[in-house]
Amino acid sequence: MVFNSLTFMVFFALVLALHAMPFKWTTKKINLLIASYLFYAAWNPPFIILLWISTIVDWYAAQKLVHAEKPAARRFWMLLSVVVNLGMLAYFKYGTFLLENFTVLMASIGVDYQAPAFDIILPVGISFYTFATLSYTLDIYLRRAEPAKNFLDYALFVTFFPHLVAGPIMRPTELVPQFVEPRKASSQMLFFGLGLMTLGLFQKVVLADSFLAPAAEMIYDGKGIAGTLDAWIATLAFSGQIFCDFAGYSTTAIGAAMCLGFAMPDNFRFPYAAIGFSDFWRRWHITLSSWLRDYLYIPLGGNRHGEARTYLALMVTMLLGGLWHGASWAFVVWGGLHGFYLAAERILRSRFSGYRPGPFALFLFALLTYALINITWVFFRADSFGKAWMILSGMFGMNVGAAPILPTMHLTMVTLIVSGIVFAHWQMRQQTLESFIARVPAWLLSCAWAVMAFLIVIAQGDGNAFIYFQF
Amino acid sequence: MPSSTSNSDSEVARPGFVRQTASDRPGVAQPVPERDIPARPWGPIIFAAFIMFVLLIAAWEWYWRDYGVTPSYRNSPGQWAAQRRRIDNGEGDKTVLIGSSRVLFGVQLPVWEKAVGERPIQLSLEGTSSIPVLEDLAEDPNFKGRLLIGVTPDLFFSGFAYRGDVIPYYHKQGPSQRSGHWISQHFFEPYFAFYDPDFALDTLVKRQAWPVRPGVPSRRSVRKLMIQDADRNSHMWRKIEVDPEYRALMRSIWSERFVGPPPPMMNTPEKLHKLIDTQISRAEAAVKKLRARGVSMVFIRMPSAGEYYAFEQKVFPRSSTWDVLLKRTNTPGIHFEDHPELQGYELPEWSHLSASEANRFTAALMPIVQQEFEAQESK
Repeated sequence: MVFNSLTFMVFFALVLALHAMPFKWTTKKINLLIASYLFYAAWNPPFIILLWISTIVDWYAAQKLVHAEKPAARRFWMLLSVVVNLGMLAYFKYGTFLLENFTVLMASIGVDYQAPAFDIILPVGISFYTFATLSYTLDIYLRRAEPAKNFLDYALFVTFFPHLVAGPIMRPTELVPQFVEPRKASSQMLFFGLGLMTLGLFQKVVLADSFLAPAAEMIYDGKGIAGTLDAWIATLAFSGQIFCDFAGYSTTAIGAAMCLGFAMPDNFRFPYAAIGFSDFWRRWHITLSSWLRDYLYIPLGGNRHGEARTYLALMVTMLLGGLWHGASWAFVVWGGLHGFYLAAERILRSRFSGYRPGPFALFLFALLTYALINITWVFFRADSFGKAWMILSGMFGMNVGAAPILPTMHLTMVTLIVSGIVFAHWQMRQQTLESFIARVPAWLLSCAWAVMAFLIVIAQGDGNAFIYFQF
Repeated sequence: MPSSTSNSDSEVARPGFVRQTASDRPGVAQPVPERDIPARPWGPIIFAAFIMFVLLIAAWEWYWRDYGVTPSYRNSPGQWAAQRRRIDNGEGDKTVLIGSSRVLFGVQLPVWEKAVGERPIQLSLEGTSSIPVLEDLAEDPNFKGRLLIGVTPDLFFSGFAYRGDVIPYYHKQGPSQRSGHWISQHFFEPYFAFYDPDFALDTLVKRQAWPVRPGVPSRRSVRKLMIQDADRNSHMWRKIEVDPEYRALMRSIWSERFVGPPPPMMNTPEKLHKLIDTQISRAEAAVKKLRARGVSMVFIRMPSAGEYYAFEQKVFPRSSTWDVLLKRTNTPGIHFEDHPELQGYELPEWSHLSASEANRFTAALMPIVQQEFEAQESK
């Protein structure tokens, strides 16, 4: 079920009530586990089997790994976990993509290969929970973590509903220890958690779904050729939409976990105030970027084996990071562009290592970073390279004579909301939401909370799925 | 993502941040996250926020009730799917109504039930050709009942399907969507007038008098027209009958659709002819499948008036649409122009019968429909 649904409201109220009952801690954990399975099964019940497979294989592999004495045996159990998890991901997420590309490849060498029907439904959140379970066996293999003391704690780590389908991607060392001792939210945690959930849902339901998505759809899903203004506004709208959608999900998830007494890590840190791309990736989808860094970039050599190897590791990491988002070459290009940006930034920083920009120059660099990130969003959002090229042509003024498409309402709302987001990020770039809230008068917090809740209700969202569910 | 500024993969200092994240701790086990709770009086804050929220909702509800709105069931995809599922759950031999909003408003289920003792399943969708639903039913072996198929010329023969996404929604609807619909229908829809897509925040903002951007065609969306019951029995919202200003607004919104160049797929006589032919072929194929299963079918052309009727006559004349459809599908049809008892009703905004007229119209229609069904079944 999605957070922005009536079903979730009822579900969460019941889970909170159950968690507050005077049961034993083990009983409470079993309740949370069952609730998390129900949360997942509410989309498509049979896919829960995949979740079980992933859970059991990694538990078993980790147990074997811990007791294996020979390095070869340790490597075998680690590889088993990797193959099963990535195999499931490859089959369900990339099966069609691989088959289509194989058919094209065969055709290019003159072989008329007819692919069998391969109509696969992508299980919700498979990319997220396979990464979470993988980190369990990998951390144990790398001797960074101890295995969970019991299967219940481990199963709950994999399945815990706030992070299950769209992150933040949790590491075992972040969550498993929280299940060892009884945890209960204080009234302060409960209230602040509810506040975070309201803020997250406001971002998703009001900003992303009601005002930003329609403008992006009119250009990216429409048939018209976009001129400069329309192409830029639609792309800016998408940049705001994907932030509000995904950061909204993460904020809601963090709030939901907090209401139950658990802590989840930050996934976003005001990314549109980033100065440079390495800074951007320390602020955007932090739990994925750090996962890729720890389990892909560093094992590939990181920056420890010379410049050439560093650039290679960087580019491979970003290309695969792009592919993680979706089975399409457009996502690979998106990742490749980010890899290129990061490499270019690295070169520039070493070339101009003595340069210390002033405040105004920093602001201009932040705007430049944001503008260049918008270029990458074109490939992320467009459903084909033809469409992406049309939008980019529009953004660079090459669609001369294109008829205007977006009405004044969309131009105005997107400009207001996206300017507001970028301004807020700039103001908040050196602080946390919590440190900001600590300085806001109580009456203003009450008003803001009431208005956000009111706007969520009157927006009457349709329970649109969060964008990252498809990944 | 890897930091291109760091000289090693060890921990990076991040001055300025209140707390560190995984991005600051490369290559190590990530610790249990720390979350701060800002030191604020959260109890009074949430209490005051809740009171303000309740007051805002109450004021919003009062505003819409004052505008003439009463609570009614949402014409949602979940609502349609719930009715569609009745066919799968043992009611496949019932009479089903498909069509656009004219059948939705014009055929009253209580009157029908009173006449023949059976309440039909209402699957009509506003702004939508009946062909997608016809095709869906043709593929469903559970459906073996009777079918009344509405034909609104500009929708049916153009294939326009404003609510076309409802059919895939029904096929893919998950358990949480079903329960969400149930909760909405039992705890919200019957009690809140503002809980209507026509009064959603984005719709209201869009509806304001924004300056027109030169070159962007100005086309307003259709406003609230109907009140719906739990089983999708619908009738015209009373405001259209009693409020001349609102009625004039609705007519002016329709009028916008009758001027300007036609859409690209029908901007030449050849394209238009091909489009009509395609839709009739789709209907023909679906009707063939349904007939093979013993389904009795009747097409119906509901009344229209004023500028709407004139537009239909001009672009989709009966001789090249309706008559061809009946001939090629070899199916009986009821055209309001052929039956004096189906004429002379009040259509406040030219396209739909008012609530009271819909009752009278249904009563007049029933004997004709029954006769057509029985004639087919006696063969």
